[in-house]
Amino acid sequence: MDTLAALPVQALHGLVYGMLLFLVASGLTLIFGMMGVLNFAHGALYMLGAYFSFSILQWTGQFWLSLLVAPLLVALAGALIERFLLRKVHSYGHAHELLLTFGVAYIIEELVKIFWGNEPLRVVLPALLAGSIPLLGIEYPVYRLFILGVSIVVFIIMFFVLYKTRAGIIVRASVANKRMVDALGFNVPLVFLVLFGMGAWLAGLAGVIGGPYLITNPAMASTIIIDLFVVVVVGGLGSIQGALIASLLIGQLQSIGILVLPQFAIFFEFLLMALVLIFRPHGLMGESK
Amino acid sequence: MTSSAWLKWLLLAVGLAVLAAMPWLVGEYPLNLIITMIIYSLFALSYNVLFGQAGLLSFGHAAYFGLGAYTSVLLFKDLGFSLLPGILGAGLAGGILGVLLGLFVVRLGGTYFALLTLAFNALIYAGAEKWRGLTGGEDGVAAMRPDLHIPFYGDVGMFSTVHWYYFVLIVVLLSTWFCWHFTRTPLGRLNECLRENEDRARFIGYNVYMSKVAVNVISAFFAGLAGGMAGAFQEFVTVTFINLDKATDVLIMTFVGGSGTFWGPILGACFLTYLNQVLSDLTEHWTLIQGILFVLLVMYAPQGLSGLLISLKDRFWGARAGKLSPAAKGEG
Repeated sequence: MDTLAALPVQALHGLVYGMLLFLVASGLTLIFGMMGVLNFAHGALYMLGAYFSFSILQWTGQFWLSLLVAPLLVALAGALIERFLLRKVHSYGHAHELLLTFGVAYIIEELVKIFWGNEPLRVVLPALLAGSIPLLGIEYPVYRLFILGVSIVVFIIMFFVLYKTRAGIIVRASVANKRMVDALGFNVPLVFLVLFGMGAWLAGLAGVIGGPYLITNPAMASTIIIDLFVVVVVGGLGSIQGALIASLLIGQLQSIGILVLPQFAIFFEFLLMALVLIFRPHGLMGESK
Repeated sequence: MTSSAWLKWLLLAVGLAVLAAMPWLVGEYPLNLIITMIIYSLFALSYNVLFGQAGLLSFGHAAYFGLGAYTSVLLFKDLGFSLLPGILGAGLAGGILGVLLGLFVVRLGGTYFALLTLAFNALIYAGAEKWRGLTGGEDGVAAMRPDLHIPFYGDVGMFSTVHWYYFVLIVVLLSTWFCWHFTRTPLGRLNECLRENEDRARFIGYNVYMSKVAVNVISAFFAGLAGGMAGAFQEFVTVTFINLDKATDVLIMTFVGGSGTFWGPILGACFLTYLNQVLSDLTEHWTLIQGILFVLLVMYAPQGLSGLLISLKDRFWGARAGKLSPAAKGEG
């Protein structure tokens, strides 16, 4: 009875986390689809978003300012990583690029520990977002609804850009056939740079809004990277629709799982991953090549 | 015998003699450090069977290492195993997990291997953390290192660091010999062929999938063996033996040492274990330095330290030999 009553609330929790996960996973999967690089540093960029926002908040006290500026700083960091590190090893192949992004993630994690310490940080939310409102029979935290709202808005903008604008067509074309886009005269390295920056921006934004909710701490990166990788395997490498479906599925599995079998909730997503690997090895929406 | 082959045997003989004489050369504390180096050398060596030889980049080798550590300690604690059966049991446990995970992780290409090994390592980690009744969860599990039972001879106590040193040394030397010999076997050769051109191996008619599983099992066995000894060495195992940090440590060791040569991973394991010991006393930012070193090597010296050493050798020794021999031919 109690379990059943809690179901809608847990489903909403799951939706919130699923959408947040998708914000991070979308950048990861677009970068992979286009550049063939599994960006190991993506989780670290997400974490940087949370920490940048914390510091901006500390200096200025302006949450909205941090929401605007912190993701841009992360985008800049991402662009610098692409331009000055990743591009240099591009000719060595994808395994090498993966190793490089892994090394960058490692360094970012250590830097975060040096600058902000090992302890979890508490973010003070503006009054507008700090309370809770009655929803589904309980007092639901406004902040989670805010996360949901922001991620839905970004999601709509992203799909609009990807499917309705010229830039989006170039990105999707590059995912499908990089060489042809190159041959048509587009500046593919520039497209890579911009895309990497955009992916970092998305991860940074998710970090800013996710930090207060999932607790800003130095293990944020390695925690989310596991969920991200499961999303990518389940959804299919490089498929943005797959990433959306998988993110939402994993959000639900985690929150409903905690309700049904709290001890084993963490195993559900791995079970899903194993099933997908057995029956659809290239992911729900992935194409076998 | 050519002079370079002669030199190699000489180096090997001197190295073995130094290793055998080590307890007389250094004190108790350095000997403990050297035991750690030897154990991690085996871990890195097992990792390189996948990474260097098969070209498979794993982020989940701690699963086998950690399982081995838990296995040996639990066999000592709950079942009263003596030393060697406990350590072999750890290797066996690693190998069995290598079959189970191998069937999943080698199915798809390179990037997927990296993703899946990380995800499965996280799964095994979660298992170790949740199954508190067996593993003690975050608190861990402890067991004294038992005696080594030698048939027709009796028991050798392992309380003495020197005895323990010789045990670890012999196990790791035998394993190293096996791993080296493995690179010369048909499967070992096929392994390298898969790295270079998987399609061609498939067209020739090899079962690529099962070969990769087999290689994964061999690698997992030795990782389990190393983990078993690490557990017996600490006499205490927690989830830190199986977490993502442990998995990335072995990747960094192997890469820094150089995955392109057989001895590179050993060099990397010894070098970083030593630096870790020395530098972590001096600066708390040691891991940052390690990360920067790693990225620099990725960017400028992808063959690692062993690659740098070889190019140095070629520059000073090889170049002279190269200049001399044509001249010698010209005179002859």
